[in-house]
Amino acid sequence: MATSIESLPPPGWDGEGLDGLLAAFLPGRLSEIVGPRSSGGGSLLLALLSRATACGGLVALVDASDSLDPVTATRAGLDLRALLWVRCGGRPASAWSAVDLLARCPGFRAIALDLGAAGHTAPPSLGTRLQRAAEGGGAAVIVRTPRHLLGGAAALVVSVRRMRTRWIGADQPKRLGGLVSEARVLRSRADPRLATPERAWLIEWRA
Amino acid sequence: MTRIACLVVPGADEQTQRILLETALAHSPSVEDGGPGIVYLDLRGLEALFGGEKEIARRILDTIAERGLTGRVGVAGSRAGSRFAARSGDGITIIPPGRDAHRLGPAPLALLDLDPRMAARFGRWGIRTLGELADLPSRGLAERLGDEGPWLQRLARGEDPTPLHLWMPPPVFEESAQCPWGVETLDPLVDLAAGLVGILCARLSRHGFSADAFEWSCRLADRTTHDGACAPPAPLSDPDAAAALLRSSLEAHPPRAAVADITLRARPVRVAVAQPRFDEPPRPSPRQLTAALARLGALVDARGVGSPVILDTHRPDANQMTPFTLGREASPSPSPLSPSPLSPSPCPLPQWGRGIQIPSRLSLNPSPLRGEGRVRGGPTVRGGPTVSGLMARSPILAMHRMRPPRPVEVTLAAGIPAHLRAAGLAGRIVAGAGPWRISGDWWTDASFARDEWDVELADGTLCRLARDGRGWRLEAIYD
Repeated sequence: MATSIESLPPPGWDGEGLDGLLAAFLPGRLSEIVGPRSSGGGSLLLALLSRATACGGLVALVDASDSLDPVTATRAGLDLRALLWVRCGGRPASAWSAVDLLARCPGFRAIALDLGAAGHTAPPSLGTRLQRAAEGGGAAVIVRTPRHLLGGAAALVVSVRRMRTRWIGADQPKRLGGLVSEARVLRSRADPRLATPERAWLIEWRA
Repeated sequence: MTRIACLVVPGADEQTQRILLETALAHSPSVEDGGPGIVYLDLRGLEALFGGEKEIARRILDTIAERGLTGRVGVAGSRAGSRFAARSGDGITIIPPGRDAHRLGPAPLALLDLDPRMAARFGRWGIRTLGELADLPSRGLAERLGDEGPWLQRLARGEDPTPLHLWMPPPVFEESAQCPWGVETLDPLVDLAAGLVGILCARLSRHGFSADAFEWSCRLADRTTHDGACAPPAPLSDPDAAAALLRSSLEAHPPRAAVADITLRARPVRVAVAQPRFDEPPRPSPRQLTAALARLGALVDARGVGSPVILDTHRPDANQMTPFTLGREASPSPSPLSPSPLSPSPCPLPQWGRGIQIPSRLSLNPSPLRGEGRVRGGPTVRGGPTVSGLMARSPILAMHRMRPPRPVEVTLAAGIPAHLRAAGLAGRIVAGAGPWRISGDWWTDASFARDEWDVELADGTLCRLARDGRGWRLEAIYD
């Protein structure tokens, strides 16, 4: 039997690749990306936002430490016109309040909070509050944090760690080539099969 | 009986046309904009106010003469007749009632502003003047030209049953309130502004407008003024959202002294209501987004909320914030700078580099930090494909900028960074690449020149360092 062309996924879609991981960040759910600096967590967040704007959606990034690099974001495919960037000037408390506020404004496809190195604690019970706000607002709310902060409120927890750095140069490094990181789903309420220890994603981020 | 006056001022520009229309409106309630330099007035019932037709025409010419304009006025029973009179005469020309057809007889056919096709057809028939058109048999004209034929013939005879298309000046949306006692604190001032914006929004809604900007002007007790403006992300006429926006703007820019009076203006725009498409992604409602942005502006610095725009320069980290608006449609495709081609699907997804799923406890080939060949060969997954084959198109490594760049102490070994120490970050440098020299803007006072290094610390942190005349700085951390 012939397969309808419309039923095929668009080119580039690979349920077994990075897109499969990105698709696990569901709308209306609170998700968390956990990993130390230089682990690839920020890149994963950027890929998520880029994917959302590529579909014509609006996204918001609450940037606790004012660290977004628009040039890199553009290279990653993020449409800056569809991005609401909230710079919090290194004030994590303001960042938490801002993401709580935005999560209650329906119409965004994704709302991200990048705590950077600024956040090591979350306000008490904010995780549950954010989860409820995400359910009401319909956006995928993602928190990028160095360590797990949201407790049981996060419907999806993805852990990212650095595997190795790729340098370009025959004898000695001439240029930074990229970073290879490994992502694992620690918890997925929507699809618990993703959180099995046997599954991981090896991602190469290009500098 | 209809009596139309035509005011003609040759060579009128847009501003002059506005003057003509306002002058005409000061004499008659029924005014039509006839195009550049032409204004029609209905003179019926004006005799008791201004006198006869000649007096009215004289008053109009005197009024525009005070503005430095010279024109002519024609009065007749139709638009075509009055325009012909204004153009043919000098100063004031009046065609007595019932004499339009006679006076229009020798007028050229072009006075009717015929379309080229109709003008060519009359030309083929040998019709050159309105009189010749008026004398044609009406029935034959209707048989050949349809309804348009008799209609043009009536115009040629000076019969113009169509009423004037009334011109109304665009409404001014401005409200003021006086506070003789002087408002010294912000809360009562915000309440006052909220009341004004409520009136403005009601007026906007009545006229079918929304506001895409609000401006306020406060006269202060110290005899100075305090002006400001704010713009919602999308045109709105919702009083609550506008009040929230004004509140955050006034809180961000409070007046320096007690306010004696406040004037609030709204810039009206007509918003076409469109049915959203089924496949269109949801958007925030202007009301909710305005309220959210207003609260965000109060929560963090309002200048730090918006959309970034990359500046056209090679200077690192050159960008600026622009207001976030819903008017700019999100592009359905990634930026042209995006490294990946697009899929032609309705919801195009960028082609990410493919990560591969690896089983737990897999052993990766030990890959050196240096050496392109080994890395490109890639870690192999036991029983699975190689990384190199699946990662043909890799996603981009994000960079966290330090704003401002953080001073660091760097120890060199043979001219190469070997150790780094900064606040919250220290360690031995195990790999690095550089220096990459960048410079620019040397033709301005803000020239820059520096060397950049990408280094990897022993704990795996990837940094970008920069060195210039002021020393070493941590520019960014890759993540």
